[in-house]
Amino acid sequence: MKDSPPRQRSIRPPRVAEITLLLLLPKRDRGPILGDLAEEFTRLAEADGVRFARRWYWQQFIRAIVPAARRRLDTKGRGEARFNVTKLGFSWLDVKIGLRMLGKHPGLSLVAVFALAVGIPVGLAPTHFVNAHEAPPPVDESDRLQVLRSIDLVNSVVRPGSLYDFNLWREELTSFEALGASMDAVYNVISEDGRAAPVEGAEVTASMFGLLRVAPLQGRTLIAADEAVGAPPVVVIGHDVWQSRLGGDPDVVGRVIQIGGVERTVVGVMPKEFLYPWLDQVWVPLRARALTDDHGQKRRLRVFGRLLDGVSPEEAEVELSTLGRRMSVDLPQTHAKLRLQVVPFTLGVHRLPRGGWRALPGFYFVQVLTVLMLAFPCANIGMLILARTANRSSELAVRTALGASRARIILQLFTESLVLAVLAAGVGLVIADRFVSRVGTVGWVHFGVTPQTALLALTLAVFSAAVAGVVPALKVTSGDVHRNLQHAVAGRAGIRFGGMSSALIVADVALAVAIIGASVGVWGIDRSAGMGIETDQFLSAELRIPRIDPEGDGSAISRSESVRLAAAQDALVQRLAGEPGVGGVAVASVLPGMDHPVQRIEVEGESDRRLVRHASVDVGFFDALQQPILSGRGFGPDDLGENSSSVIVNTNFAGQVLGGRNPLGIRVRQWSRAQDGPWYEIVGVVGSLGMLATATDADAGIYYPLAPGQIHPVPFAIRVGDDPAAFAPRLRELAGEADPAAVISAPVALSEVLSQQVLLLGWLRSYFLVVIGILLTISTMAIYALMSFTVAQRTREIGIRIALGARWRAVVATIARRAMVQLGLGALAGMTVAGLLLALLENVAGKIPMGSPVLVASMVTVGVVVLIGALACIAPTLRALRIAPTDALREGI
Amino acid sequence: MRRGDHLAAFEQLVLLALLSLEEDEAYGMNIRHVLREQARREASVPTVYSALERLESKGFVSSCLGQATPERGGRAKKLFRVEAAGVRALDEARKTLEVMWQVGGLMGGPSER
Repeated sequence: MKDSPPRQRSIRPPRVAEITLLLLLPKRDRGPILGDLAEEFTRLAEADGVRFARRWYWQQFIRAIVPAARRRLDTKGRGEARFNVTKLGFSWLDVKIGLRMLGKHPGLSLVAVFALAVGIPVGLAPTHFVNAHEAPPPVDESDRLQVLRSIDLVNSVVRPGSLYDFNLWREELTSFEALGASMDAVYNVISEDGRAAPVEGAEVTASMFGLLRVAPLQGRTLIAADEAVGAPPVVVIGHDVWQSRLGGDPDVVGRVIQIGGVERTVVGVMPKEFLYPWLDQVWVPLRARALTDDHGQKRRLRVFGRLLDGVSPEEAEVELSTLGRRMSVDLPQTHAKLRLQVVPFTLGVHRLPRGGWRALPGFYFVQVLTVLMLAFPCANIGMLILARTANRSSELAVRTALGASRARIILQLFTESLVLAVLAAGVGLVIADRFVSRVGTVGWVHFGVTPQTALLALTLAVFSAAVAGVVPALKVTSGDVHRNLQHAVAGRAGIRFGGMSSALIVADVALAVAIIGASVGVWGIDRSAGMGIETDQFLSAELRIPRIDPEGDGSAISRSESVRLAAAQDALVQRLAGEPGVGGVAVASVLPGMDHPVQRIEVEGESDRRLVRHASVDVGFFDALQQPILSGRGFGPDDLGENSSSVIVNTNFAGQVLGGRNPLGIRVRQWSRAQDGPWYEIVGVVGSLGMLATATDADAGIYYPLAPGQIHPVPFAIRVGDDPAAFAPRLRELAGEADPAAVISAPVALSEVLSQQVLLLGWLRSYFLVVIGILLTISTMAIYALMSFTVAQRTREIGIRIALGARWRAVVATIARRAMVQLGLGALAGMTVAGLLLALLENVAGKIPMGSPVLVASMVTVGVVVLIGALACIAPTLRALRIAPTDALREGI
Repeated sequence: MRRGDHLAAFEQLVLLALLSLEEDEAYGMNIRHVLREQARREASVPTVYSALERLESKGFVSSCLGQATPERGGRAKKLFRVEAAGVRALDEARKTLEVMWQVGGLMGGPSER
């Protein structure tokens, strides 16, 4: 490292405090007061130290805020130095008026604040969650922690790392202080009471702990010697495992515990917040010494490192890419089409692209969509504010006549909306904070509200104020001054709403009807229709056996592991068969109703190659699902041999691929450009079981026989009756009996898995449910407010008509007619939009029941909206009818 | 004295503190120091400047900009000087107080002038 002359640290007051005071103080006081404070700060820093001086400055700052603000207001009060933020002459008086308006129109304020308090957090949710999710881990110099990975250029996916690459990188790369690797696993940890439960863990290199620079709470971390083949099996455990499974035993270090069926000695306990690489609680040594090519092993190895001081990630990537080019020459089969990347630790751990979430086009789509959702309440609030402003048109006309420019009045009205929006943003942030605090912290990701989020909320508040405040302001100030003044003198509003409010009412009704109609249509999709399986009767889960050979060198999954897996699977299936209440167990590479992988197949004697979906299923699969074999036979034990050539197809296959011919005896094989697969003979036909999550009966499919031990993890479904989730604890017990290392993960009713598949992510579903609910509430409130307002506007007209002899029935009919036209147009537009949406969705999601449920739901919504509209009209109509004709005539002239 | 030109207690303290300082030392922070050390009054800098501004508007003090120094972040001092009217107002305030002390019975007789 170069020697550099010692730099004198500049001693200056806290910037935040200084800038705040700068903004707060009147212009002429800034120099003397900030100068005095800076001078004293310097003196104190030299005499008593910078810490003391900073503390003093902050004390002064706190003491100075109120007097400084008061001085500013005093100064303005005398009109000497206006706060010229803009040339328009912003005035604190506008803020005061804005606050007063909140109290003067409490109903409107409540609706507007509610709408924005919900709309603003919804608008900023995507950015907030992405920022939280991409935050770096809270370790020393976290920006130097990077993940090294290979991108498969053919499929544009991150390829799982290999031990071979890791060892080579560790030896060759000079940009990194050290490299580490980890491989996720789930282990059964036997707790104090003897029960086994799965815990997330990882096989890690000893270097990981050094890279993260976190010291253990007790004992030691892993050391290089632990990685050696033949070293005694050890484990480092997390704080939570220590507390919950081992009762917080103070002498835990040195104790031997069962982890994944292997007895390991605990050598250390890590602090509570240490959950690296991601949510792990148990760390066993990764035996990573083997220098064999293990690319075929499909490990999910994660490689990371700490950059040397002064080396940038870009420089490290250049070095890694150079090495990658050499590897692509040495190993063209596996390394020819790879791009090597060095990305920040968080992005690597979450397997995000280099630019993070923002690099995905979907992010901006969601962001724009949510901001548009915010625009909707804004438009409604804008209308309500316009109504409020209309009542003040005489005040504004007088102001204009006295010389206020149009821009000045617009600024005033904007400021008033801003007060409302900022208040709503504050309320919204508090609610959002409460809401996300239930999610709290996952790993090192904190979902709580940050200053950055608050700033964003403020920006959205300004945006909302601009939409809701400026448009009404433009409308109100558009008329000619003279005419407005005349109206003001006559005590009339002088502003006509006509088209604008009607359009908004129609839009509100349309939105309510469209949302309800489309939602009912989507939620009405019967997931099990066409599958012929009572999915709510099945419990689905996965059986896993962690790597169990502590003496193994880590270079390959041993044959004994496969045999043990088969034995565990057999033992579990047998135990389940003997369990009362269990109607059958179906094991498959992919369970029905989920997206099955596709393959291109060739039918013997035909040149066409067709894409079909496929799955491997065990012998008892169709029986357990109570699916009859429609023709031919099912799989038997004879089909499980290595030379087996039997397959079963579904009826769609027979129809779509074979054109309705009898499939039995026809031979098919998998086709690929490189190498054709072996021929298989179709021995049976079954009904459609659902091979695509979004379309249960659409796809042609083929089933291969599956022998125990062939796949890992093993997905299976058990028929257990009405409450599948209740069987999960018993399933874990049985799995423990079958093999102590067996882990049962994700036990959940099959119907739940299916519904999650439809909308991909459960949280996305709830998020949209909440948003839809809010939009409905806002539009309903807006319909009420707008309709009641438009009728109230006609008070004088109604009075005059009554004075001129009109019957009250005729007057009510006129009002009702207009309201009905608005509601009817809205309902029609809403149902059309709902129909279009559902038609669009049908293209993606398959058949949607378009008939009666959607229509009924839409009609009910229309009914509710009509009721709300009628309620909104009643009060102002009655008021108008009660006006004495003479009064109406006198005021109307 | 015009109506409204009387001195509040804090303004009296500020004027007296100002009188105790040298001409080139008579600015906000030093006044604050004197108030704290001698009168045991803690006041924020803006409060001191508020009082000085009121005094200036009444014509009791005058101000001018002093030298800017690096430790002040390059900002100039605002130096204050007590005017004759200020001294008169102080004297008036003292007399008023003495009379009131006598009226209140806490002082033996008129003080020597």
